[in-house]
Amino acid sequence: MKTINNELRDKIIFAAQLVSISLIWLLVIGIIFWISNLIYLSVDLKDSPGISIGISLVAIPVFITLASILTYVFVGFHREKKKHLNTDSGN
Amino acid sequence: MPKWAMAIDLDKCTGCGDCMAACKLENNVAIVDAEQAADDRVMLWMDMMTIYEGEYPNIKLKRIPKPCFHCDNPPCIKVCPVHATYKNEEGLVAQIYNRCIGCRYCMAACPYTAKVFNWYEPEWADEFKTCMNPDVSLRMKGVVEKCSFCAHRLQKVKENARADDREISDGEYSPACADSCPAEAIFFGDLENKESKVFKLSNSPRAFRELEDLGTIPKVFYLSEKE
Amino acid sequence: MNEETKNTVDIDEALYRPIYETGKSFYFAVGFLLFIIGFTLVVYIRQVYYGLGVTGMNQPVTWGFYIVNFVFFVGISHAGTLISAILRLSKAEWRRPITRMAEVITAIVLAIGGLHPIIDLGRPDRVLNIFTAGRLQSPLLWDVTSITAYFTASTVYLYLPMIPDIAKLRDRGGKMVWFYEFLSWGWHGTEHQKKVLSRAINILMVMVIPIAISVHTVISYIFSMTLQPGWHSTIFGPYFVVGAIFSGIAALMIVMISFRKYFHLENYLKLVHFRHLGTLLLIMSLLWFYFTFSEYLTGVFGAEPHEMDVIFYKFTGTYAIFFWGMVVCNFLIPVVILAFKKFKTIPGILIASISVVIGMWLERLNIVIPSLANPRMGLDMGMYTPSFTEWTLFIGGLAVFVLGFLVFSKFFPIISIWEIEEGRKESVKEVEKRVTSYLPDPANSVE
Repeated sequence: MKTINNELRDKIIFAAQLVSISLIWLLVIGIIFWISNLIYLSVDLKDSPGISIGISLVAIPVFITLASILTYVFVGFHREKKKHLNTDSGN
Repeated sequence: MPKWAMAIDLDKCTGCGDCMAACKLENNVAIVDAEQAADDRVMLWMDMMTIYEGEYPNIKLKRIPKPCFHCDNPPCIKVCPVHATYKNEEGLVAQIYNRCIGCRYCMAACPYTAKVFNWYEPEWADEFKTCMNPDVSLRMKGVVEKCSFCAHRLQKVKENARADDREISDGEYSPACADSCPAEAIFFGDLENKESKVFKLSNSPRAFRELEDLGTIPKVFYLSEKE
Repeated sequence: MNEETKNTVDIDEALYRPIYETGKSFYFAVGFLLFIIGFTLVVYIRQVYYGLGVTGMNQPVTWGFYIVNFVFFVGISHAGTLISAILRLSKAEWRRPITRMAEVITAIVLAIGGLHPIIDLGRPDRVLNIFTAGRLQSPLLWDVTSITAYFTASTVYLYLPMIPDIAKLRDRGGKMVWFYEFLSWGWHGTEHQKKVLSRAINILMVMVIPIAISVHTVISYIFSMTLQPGWHSTIFGPYFVVGAIFSGIAALMIVMISFRKYFHLENYLKLVHFRHLGTLLLIMSLLWFYFTFSEYLTGVFGAEPHEMDVIFYKFTGTYAIFFWGMVVCNFLIPVVILAFKKFKTIPGILIASISVVIGMWLERLNIVIPSLANPRMGLDMGMYTPSFTEWTLFIGGLAVFVLGFLVFSKFFPIISIWEIEEGRKESVKEVEKRVTSYLPDPANSVE
């Protein structure tokens, strides 16, 4: 009984972690949408679009890199854990 | 496209302040109470600069009417974060009151301090409420506003001209301050129209513009022999 | 394995204690701070209801305390991530007990500072207009973008090096194990995980430095992009960044000294740490003076009339007391204290730090208000006196800062435990190796 509970608990916690890591991507996607909307506006209104595009070229990669680093760490940690469990059960 | 401009003849101006009063009534500009006025929160679209020169007893007093200069290269629209102030196709610097978030960056960026802010919900005395100008929208608290060169009058003039299928004639479109001036010191018209009074005055040797070295290219010309 | 954990727990027990032992004074402090914050909230709601008229701002002085505090708080936030990244990058071994606190300052203060422009809005209900109708061409939007980036980066940079410590708390059991398990991301300290973590931290610390510098540069652009005398200056970007790091180090030392006293961490935060940071503060103080000197000398020498109005307003006019107070607080006091070993004790450093924080706040005041108070074209000089509302919101901001720190120290160790352990185990050997590699090789081995 207790092991089942533990398993369920692990699953819930893992799901919560997945949700949190997708939240950061949600933020990044939101920011990309926002910035492209602003670029569209500035082109539409002929309101020096060059500046907007210049800023977006810097800003968007920064956010993507940040989210990628987090994802890299998350995936890196869990891949190792899985391997760990596999070797454990093998033994 | 027309290029609406104003010329103020300081040699004719008596500094009576009639333009200020006419502007307030025409544009439904809020009248703040005495306490607020003492805190430097008077709301004037057409301001009157009062400059004292020299020392007592030889004081020289200068009175200079100051509307928004509707610059061709306005520093205020460059900094607005939400497109709430922009240069419209008539070349007028316009405000969108319903979009303004009230950050007051445009006020800080304007070298002429031409803009005013609604620090409180605007209020009028009961007597005034009956004679509001229905052509001008009322502003709400927390937004920036400024002289529009009476753009609502331009709308009417344009409609009339279109109905009669003709061009707008010189002097037909004129803001409240120019109309009211008892000394007839304020002229208004189209700089593109080479026949207009304003165009001639703008090329007068007496003409100058404020802070021309900033490159803002104001569309308000002052005329004075003494300056 | 079990024995080892027990052993280390004993050594660094002092760092866990704040998390598990909660005294009466803690609840009292939290209650008091919550009261202040609640009151601030009421005052702010009143401002939204009545309009910005309840502040002391007026016709020419359209920006006041809110913008001053915005620049000030965001400046303080540079303490953290930037200093911690620089120390990590330069492999300064004495950084180990400092980095965590520095990073926490950044996250909390940046959140406070980032809120200030919204407090300043006349129509906060329309703030979402910057999403639907924003102009990326406006320096204000550059700010929104770069502060968001910095906040994300510094939170990640705070969180990642905390994972091993969170795992330690998880393994200890006790309160809220699920919370720590959720946050620890399955860390077990395996070789692979260590490699992944250290690689991620390395990428982050390189990335965080340009982001941090961009934030304060962009804040200076708010001012220097306008044509106003006293603002329109190319030196503003680096000047603001230097000031930000300067005030950041000072704030960091104040926080360190308070925690050292409050949680009895004398064994971890030693005089040597403060002396090293004090030297950094001294360097920044001299740099700050150099920038200030250059900024005003060019103004005075050029003697452009409008520029001179602003400069006289600061030198001899209404703001003389604030201007010269700033010079005393930012230059005279810290230099005298930090240049002499005799004064460079903990109380001395505390005095210098407090003086720098006050001085840097005065600097922000001196930048924002005088330029607005001296409009061009011979208009009347403006006058600005902050109202009760503005003072309350300032104090409320400080209360949020203290509360944030107290709450953080209840959930996470305020000093990075695993980095201290790592220092104990590995870095002595590593540093020895490093130093040996700097030395010339023995003469015969070259032959």
